[in-house]
Amino acid sequence: MLQVGFSKRKNNSYDFKNQRSMSLQNSLFEETYSAGALEICRKRVNIAIALFFAVYAVIAVRVFMVCLPHGIEIKLPEDETQQREILIKAPISRADIVDRNGVVIATSLPTVDLYANPKKIQDAKDAAEKLSFVFPDMKYDDLYAKLTKKTSFVMLKHDLSPAKQSEVNALGIPALEFLTSEKRVYLHDNLFAHVLGYTNVDNVGQAGIEKFMHKRLTESTKPLELTVDLGIQDTIRQELLAAIEKFSAEGASAVLMDINTGEVISMVSLPDFNPNINIPLGDKALFNFTTLGTYEPGSVFKTFNTALGLESGKVKVTDKFDATKPITIQRRKISDFHGENRWLTVGEILIYSSNIGSVQLVSRVGRKDQRKFLENLGFFAPLTDFEIPEKAKPLFQSQKNWTDITMATVAYGHGISVTPMHIITAFSALMNGGIYHAPTLIKSSVKKPSKRVISERTSEQMRPLLRDVVLYGSGKKAEVKGYEVAGKTGTAEKAVNGGYAKRRVTNSFLSAFPASNPKYALLVIIDEPKATKETWGFITSGWNAAPTAGKIISEIAPQLGLKANFDLQAQRAHIKAMQ
Amino acid sequence: MISTKTAVTALWFTVTSFIIFGCFILKNQVHELETELKKINQNISTDVRNIHVLKAEWGRLNTPERLRKLAFEHIALDKIRAEQIINYSALPFENESSSVDLASTKGSSEYKKLIKTHRD
Repeated sequence: MLQVGFSKRKNNSYDFKNQRSMSLQNSLFEETYSAGALEICRKRVNIAIALFFAVYAVIAVRVFMVCLPHGIEIKLPEDETQQREILIKAPISRADIVDRNGVVIATSLPTVDLYANPKKIQDAKDAAEKLSFVFPDMKYDDLYAKLTKKTSFVMLKHDLSPAKQSEVNALGIPALEFLTSEKRVYLHDNLFAHVLGYTNVDNVGQAGIEKFMHKRLTESTKPLELTVDLGIQDTIRQELLAAIEKFSAEGASAVLMDINTGEVISMVSLPDFNPNINIPLGDKALFNFTTLGTYEPGSVFKTFNTALGLESGKVKVTDKFDATKPITIQRRKISDFHGENRWLTVGEILIYSSNIGSVQLVSRVGRKDQRKFLENLGFFAPLTDFEIPEKAKPLFQSQKNWTDITMATVAYGHGISVTPMHIITAFSALMNGGIYHAPTLIKSSVKKPSKRVISERTSEQMRPLLRDVVLYGSGKKAEVKGYEVAGKTGTAEKAVNGGYAKRRVTNSFLSAFPASNPKYALLVIIDEPKATKETWGFITSGWNAAPTAGKIISEIAPQLGLKANFDLQAQRAHIKAMQ
Repeated sequence: MISTKTAVTALWFTVTSFIIFGCFILKNQVHELETELKKINQNISTDVRNIHVLKAEWGRLNTPERLRKLAFEHIALDKIRAEQIINYSALPFENESSSVDLASTKGSSEYKKLIKTHRD
C-alpha cells in the first residue's frame, strides 16, 4: 500500500510523456486512496515513535537499574527496637537464663566443633597421630578408626577453644573442617543444678528448665527470667551443706516461696551435681527431692489438719481435745511422742505436736470433708504446670480405701506421700489469706490462675497458732529475733519394707515469716540426720531442721528486704548499750 | 545557525550524559557505603559476641562462692545479722524527749535483761 503512495510521487516527478493519462489516473487514485493512505502513514509513524520511546524507556530504566547497587532492598523498620534487632543479631541461638534480678545464671558460648571428611584424607595415620598429640584425651586408635571410615562426615570433637582451633589449623590437614557451634555454660556450677537441669551436646534440654522450656529458649534469644534469686539460693545452699555436715545427713532440701504469688525464690536439693560436667544417668545427685521426692511428711501435716478443723466450722480455736491416753482405731494404737497426757487446746495440739489431739480433731470433721479439703489444697494431683519436668504424683489411698485409720494417720502426716513442693504451695495458701497460687519458676507479667481454698479468717487464725509453736513448742530453735517466725516441725520415720525404720527419719520444718504479715514460706527438709552431742541424742526435727531454718531465715530476711520488727524501746536500749 | 531541533537534541544528549554520569557516581558511593555498612555490622557482631563472652566471664567471676572467698580473705567483715538492721525511728536523738531514759533504767533488772537478750 505504501509503495502505491510512493509510485504516485515518482510518476508525478519523472514521467512527463504520459502526464495526462497519469494525471487522470492519479486523480482517480487520489480520490480513491489519498485519505486512507495518509491515515495509514500517520499511524505507522506513530507506531514507530512509540516503539522508539519504548526502546529508549527500556534503555533509560536499564541505565538507572545499572546505576543502582544490586540487590538493594529498602525496608523501613516499624520502630527503633526492630531496627536495633536487625543490626545486632544475638551471638547465640539458645537464650540466656537469668535470675529475678537479671543476673545471668545460664548462657551459651560460641565455640567450634571439629569434623573430618575421611574421603579427602591423604594420610590417615599421620593425621590421627597429629590430632592425638593436639588432643591428649583422644586416643590414636579411635581417631584412626574414625578417619578411615567410608563416609564424608565424621565428628571428631565438640566445643574447641580458640587456642585448640588454631593448633588444628596449624596442622594443615585439608580434610579437617570446623562447624560453628555453641556450648551451654552454667556459671554457678551446682547452685541451680536442679532448677536449670542441663542440655546434651546438641544443646537439647535434658532436665529442669532447660528441658521444660526448650522450645521457648530456642525460639527467642530474649533472656528467660526466672523467679529464683542468686544470693538467696546460695545462702540456703550453704546452710543446707553445713547442716548435712553437722548432722551427718544423707541429704537436705529447701524451698522458699513468695506466698502471695507462688513464685519459687529458692529451690535446693542436696546432693546436687555440676551441670557443666556429664553425670551418669541414675546418679543419686540427679534426683530433685523438692519435686520428685514423695515422702510421708509427718507432723508438718498437722498444720493442714488444724486448718481443716477451723475451716469446717466444727472446731474452734478455744476447743479442747482429750489427749490423756492413746486411742485405738481399727486395732491400731495411736499415741504421742512425749505426750502431755491431758486435754489440749487446738494451739497446744500444734505446740506439743500431739498425734492423739490431731486424730481427735479430724474425727470431729469426718473423712469425707478431710479428703475434699486436701484435694482442694492440691495434695492429690501432680503439679502439672510447674516448669520443670521432674515431678512426682502424690501417693494416697483411693476414696474406697480412705477408711477411718487412713483419716487418722493422714491427720498427722502418715499414710499419704506428697512432695515438698506440694506442701509449701498448700501452706502458702494457708498463710496468705486463703488463696492458692500454683507454684512457678518463671517470672511473668501474666498471673497464673489462683483459687480460694480457705477463708481469710481461718488463715488469720492459723498464723498465731503456728507462731506459738516457735515461741513455746517444738520449733523454738527456729526463732529469729525481729522476724516472727511461725512454723511447724515434722519428724517422719522412713517407710522400709512395709514398716517404719526407727532411727531413719526425714525431718521437715515448715515455716512462714513474719507471722504478723507473712510474706515468705520456707520448707527445710533434712534426710536421715544423725544424733549429735549438741542435739542430746535426739534426731527429731526441732533439733536439726528447725535450727537450720532459723539460721536460713536470719540470713535471708535482710536480703529479702524485710524490716525486722523489733521493740523500739529494746532497740534504743541496745544502741545506747553499744555506745 | 543551529536549528532548534539540533539544540534540543544536544541538550537531551548532555542532560542524559550528566544523568548517567551522576548515576554511576551515586552507584559507586552507595557501593562504598554498603561495604562500609557491612564492615560496621560485622564489627558490631564481633563486639556483641565479645561482650557476650565477657558478660559470661563477669558472671563467672561474680559467683557467690568466689566472692565469699575474696571477702573472707580481704574484708574483715562478718555477715550482717537481722538485729543489726534497725528502723531510722529507733535512732536516739539527744533532744528527743520520748527517748529511753537510760539513766533511770540503767542498772535495773529489766535493762540488764534487754541487753542480755540482744547480745545473745
